[in-house]
Amino acid sequence: MTTTTPSSPGKAPLVAMRNISKAFGGVHAVENASVNLHPGEVVALLGHNGAGKSTLMKMLAGAYPIDAGEVLIRGSKAHIRTPADAQALGIETIYQTLALADNLDSVANLFLGRELLTPWRTLDDLRMDAEARKVFARLNKNFTNHRVPVRRLSGGQRQTVAISRALYFNASILIMDEPCAALGPEETRMVGELIKQLKAEGVGIFLISHDMHDVFDLSDRLAVMKNGSMVGTYNTADVTEDEVLGMIILGKQPEGKTQAERVNG
Amino acid sequence: MDSALKALRQAQVDWRMLLMGGVLVAIALSFNVMTGGIFLSAENLYNIAQQTAVVGIVATVVVLIIVARHIDLSVGSVMGFVGVLVAYLMYSKGWAWPAAALAGLAVAIAVSVYQGSLTALLGVPSFVVTLGGLMSFRGAAFLVADGKTQPVTDPFFLRLGGGYDGAIGVTASWMLAALLCVAVAFGVINKRRMQHRFGVPSNPVWLDGLMAGVPIVIVLGFVAAMNAYQIPNKDAPQGIPIPVLIWAAVALGLSFIVRRTRFGRYVFAMGGNPDAAALVGIPVRRVTLMLFALLGVLITVAAVVSIARLNAGTNSLGTGMELLVIAAAVIGGTALAGGSGSIVGSVLGALIMQSLDSGMLLLDVSIGSRMVIIGQVLIAAVVFDVLYRKWTGEG
Repeated sequence: MTTTTPSSPGKAPLVAMRNISKAFGGVHAVENASVNLHPGEVVALLGHNGAGKSTLMKMLAGAYPIDAGEVLIRGSKAHIRTPADAQALGIETIYQTLALADNLDSVANLFLGRELLTPWRTLDDLRMDAEARKVFARLNKNFTNHRVPVRRLSGGQRQTVAISRALYFNASILIMDEPCAALGPEETRMVGELIKQLKAEGVGIFLISHDMHDVFDLSDRLAVMKNGSMVGTYNTADVTEDEVLGMIILGKQPEGKTQAERVNG
Repeated sequence: MDSALKALRQAQVDWRMLLMGGVLVAIALSFNVMTGGIFLSAENLYNIAQQTAVVGIVATVVVLIIVARHIDLSVGSVMGFVGVLVAYLMYSKGWAWPAAALAGLAVAIAVSVYQGSLTALLGVPSFVVTLGGLMSFRGAAFLVADGKTQPVTDPFFLRLGGGYDGAIGVTASWMLAALLCVAVAFGVINKRRMQHRFGVPSNPVWLDGLMAGVPIVIVLGFVAAMNAYQIPNKDAPQGIPIPVLIWAAVALGLSFIVRRTRFGRYVFAMGGNPDAAALVGIPVRRVTLMLFALLGVLITVAAVVSIARLNAGTNSLGTGMELLVIAAAVIGGTALAGGSGSIVGSVLGALIMQSLDSGMLLLDVSIGSRMVIIGQVLIAAVVFDVLYRKWTGEG
């Protein structure tokens, strides 16, 4: 994994989403929104429910087709039409719903859509089992019941399975949609540690969160959306919590603060 | 004792399946007592196995359709349509049976994929699409030969339906049984070896022994029963009936698909959480179309077996079969909400229904009472399913 310092100038961003729009029927879910992400950077996406942040991220993840605008990955134009396209570009997503098939066990869920196969094109269950054990152990030592349907697992264990997907498949771009919403304090701390660790490895992370504490603790920059449009993007260190709340609630840019879109690193 | 219980809990023993097997055994023993030993006679077991085959073949794949959160109400009508078509091509058009069967296969796949694509691509509920199909293809079955019965006479073809010459004989039956037993034993040994190599914990030896031993005993017992049945004016016992052999091959094939292929896993994932399946990049539409194509293949197999069994294709072939097939799947533990079900379950479900019907027939229970009872058994199975899911927290 390449480690690029976040401030190296002249480098194309890891992700550049430019003038993205998306409508569902007559509702403009996302309108002309732009955002960048650099290696080793955490960009928090903020906004009310329905502000368009999840929709914007789902377009990057290939879950929704993009109506207008373009996505550049590492400087070159990307055509993301399906989740498989996004995965091929190193984009992994941890959905708020976790996107787990409750009737399958955690090993099957970890590899869902990307199963390891034997030379005879059949499922290589034992190799998947062995690989999964390693990843799960890295995240959660107490998690050993890999062979029961995930519906019987605790919230933290389910989260472990969802996060393991991103780890196992070596994401270089990670989208985390409310990763701590269903977690207890101990598990929330674990996710925070993980984000810092991945960041140090050069992974770029989009973090959707409603928790101001998480946002200020973990993010380098924050981008606020309202009614489908981007209100503004700032270095997290430059703004106060009140200013951020003002952007979220009123769509008002804080006075005297410079935006930080970081188009060129 | 504690370690044994712990091993059982971790071994993914399918308790529901064990219980169903127990229910089937209890039904068989009770009827055997009530009928004075007729129920478990070789002849009756032979007939039950043979009579269940057509419903059983279709039920295996309908399990997968239901697991994927779809339904197919048109299987009986499509089977009737394809059956009459195959018989018509042989009798009225003089085609050889392989050509006629292949033509039937092509039509069945086309019909299934047509209905499947309305569901998979346009999102029309499969209940509605196949309800239309239930009516249309029953009509089509009439149109093919203008409602006339099409006799089937090819001697080889007729063997596919079982009956007088439709079994493989004693020697071949024992050889097949031996082969299957060796395969089961080898499978378990190989699994333990691979688990050891990958550092994955194995079941205790006694448990794996039991998991291999029980199927082996069932296979040997079944073959012994089939080999004990001799039609009075023949000079050798029957052995395994060919339709049962076909059913077994279909069930084994589909079990393999479910457990060992991506396709099988995707069908279950789509049933468990369709949104998640799409989000992780499973090609949901393609898998759905493949599933309906597979249904078409097995409807053709069932159509061939049933016209061979009846010695004719008639426009009423398979009438009402969709209900028996769905009932077999549901009694076998397939949840109509999708996401869970098993091929072995459908085999047990089909056998339980046919055993009840056959046992009551032997006891001279009237057709009306039989229908009342079997209908209530279906409801009991679903009630049990609901309670079982509550107890085990399967939601």
